[in-house]
Amino acid sequence: MSTHIVSSYDTELENLRRSISEMGGIAEKMMTDSGNALVRRDVTLAQSVIGADKRLDAIQHEVEERAILLIAKRQPLAIDLRETISAIRVSNDLERIGDLSKNVAKRVVAIAEQIQPQKIVIAVQHMGDLVQEQLKDVLDAYASQDIKAALDVWERDDAIDALYNSLFRELLTYMMEDPRNISFCTHLLFCAKNIERIGDHTTNIAETIHYLVTGTNELAEGDRPKNDASNYATVTIPASA
Amino acid sequence: MNAAPAITQAQLTGRHKADEQAPIRIAVKDLNFYYGSFHGLKSINLNFHDRQVTALIGPSGCGKSTLLRTFNRIYSLYPEQRAEGEILLDGQNVLDSKVDLNELRSRIGMVFQKPTPFPMSIYDNVAFGLRLYEKLPKADLDVRVEESLRKAALWDEVKDKLKQSGMGLSGGQQQRLCIARTVAQRPEVILFDEPTSALDPISTGRIEELIEQLRSEFTIVIVTHNMQQAARISQFTAFMYLGELVEFGPTTRIFMNPEKRQTQDYITGRFG
Repeated sequence: MSTHIVSSYDTELENLRRSISEMGGIAEKMMTDSGNALVRRDVTLAQSVIGADKRLDAIQHEVEERAILLIAKRQPLAIDLRETISAIRVSNDLERIGDLSKNVAKRVVAIAEQIQPQKIVIAVQHMGDLVQEQLKDVLDAYASQDIKAALDVWERDDAIDALYNSLFRELLTYMMEDPRNISFCTHLLFCAKNIERIGDHTTNIAETIHYLVTGTNELAEGDRPKNDASNYATVTIPASA
Repeated sequence: MNAAPAITQAQLTGRHKADEQAPIRIAVKDLNFYYGSFHGLKSINLNFHDRQVTALIGPSGCGKSTLLRTFNRIYSLYPEQRAEGEILLDGQNVLDSKVDLNELRSRIGMVFQKPTPFPMSIYDNVAFGLRLYEKLPKADLDVRVEESLRKAALWDEVKDKLKQSGMGLSGGQQQRLCIARTVAQRPEVILFDEPTSALDPISTGRIEELIEQLRSEFTIVIVTHNMQQAARISQFTAFMYLGELVEFGPTTRIFMNPEKRQTQDYITGRFG
């Protein structure tokens, strides 16, 4: 892409890109750390995740303000307008990813003292790893404006929904087996839900990349394969004799 | 750079959308234009849809004003300038030497960059063409003058001073007076050559609002250097460069997602 006649215009767009990449780095680290804190019952690490969210919020406000100022000053068109709007959208998704990771970290603090069936924690971690990879891939795709990589992320969300669905059933089973598991399993269920929501935000970012590159909202308007059946899942408690 | 006026109801409700099914009012076919030996327009093929605003954009010297000036053959005032090809207005080639120029120019009106009121009263400015071509009784003439001034959104400001000179009005009012003078002929097409580049943002806003209203009756072609203005008021946009038509399409597509690299570079301010 050739440069603008007004060079400060390029600088402003470059600064937006840089802020998004900084936000991406923080959100990614918050997510990894919250997952590790969960597996290792590391309260200190969890606290650091909670603390990191402030910085993420601050950059998001900054991106929004600078994007608005750029629209007011430059009245961007075509690719410049799409890039400015995309920066607002992606910063919003990354801010939410930070919030959701923070929520996982808070739950780590809450359940640290409780008995934890390691098997199911590992299952949540596995789901976290998948989403983590999605987030990394989508941020790379955004930086390189790689629509093929974005589409790939968008399609992979299906697997995460399926995994969440089976986790949901597994957690319900644990709770039925022993009521002492309920508190812990409920927290874990919310952790899994948060991770699944982070996956949704990565697909949002993939849709934004599609918009940024092609100028159409086709991807966002089309139906993404949804495999989350947990909305309809129930368990039947066997009647005691 | 002029400030954007508030969004009109039309823009909110989508009446602003390009109507690609609208009948073609002017069809330009393989048009070439020469200033002496200089080839100013190179094989232009372009359609203008009925009751739609089409904006012509491009850097200075790209041929957009030249194209506009071929429609009513105003170039023929200069002997060394000539056009080849066809410009069909409702199927009739306006470049045909048998076409009556006065009739052509009453069918295709033109408004220029600088307001050009005649040194006469406001009333006479608007009635000028009507007196030349139509012998109307005084009462009918009054009606046509009022109707035209109303359509140009100027009536309320000048109704009490119709006998005063048109030269005494403000720049924006003078431009609307010129639009009233054009509208009075009941043309089919109105050509605007940078109609707001000499006006302040408020007058610009009024003219833009007016163009949106005039669209319900007239086919409009506008040359503008203000990209945001083209994006605001037109349904179709044509981007020209070095005498060639680079890209033509619905305005929303041209400004959100142009197909050609040259178009994108120009509208985003990247032209070297």
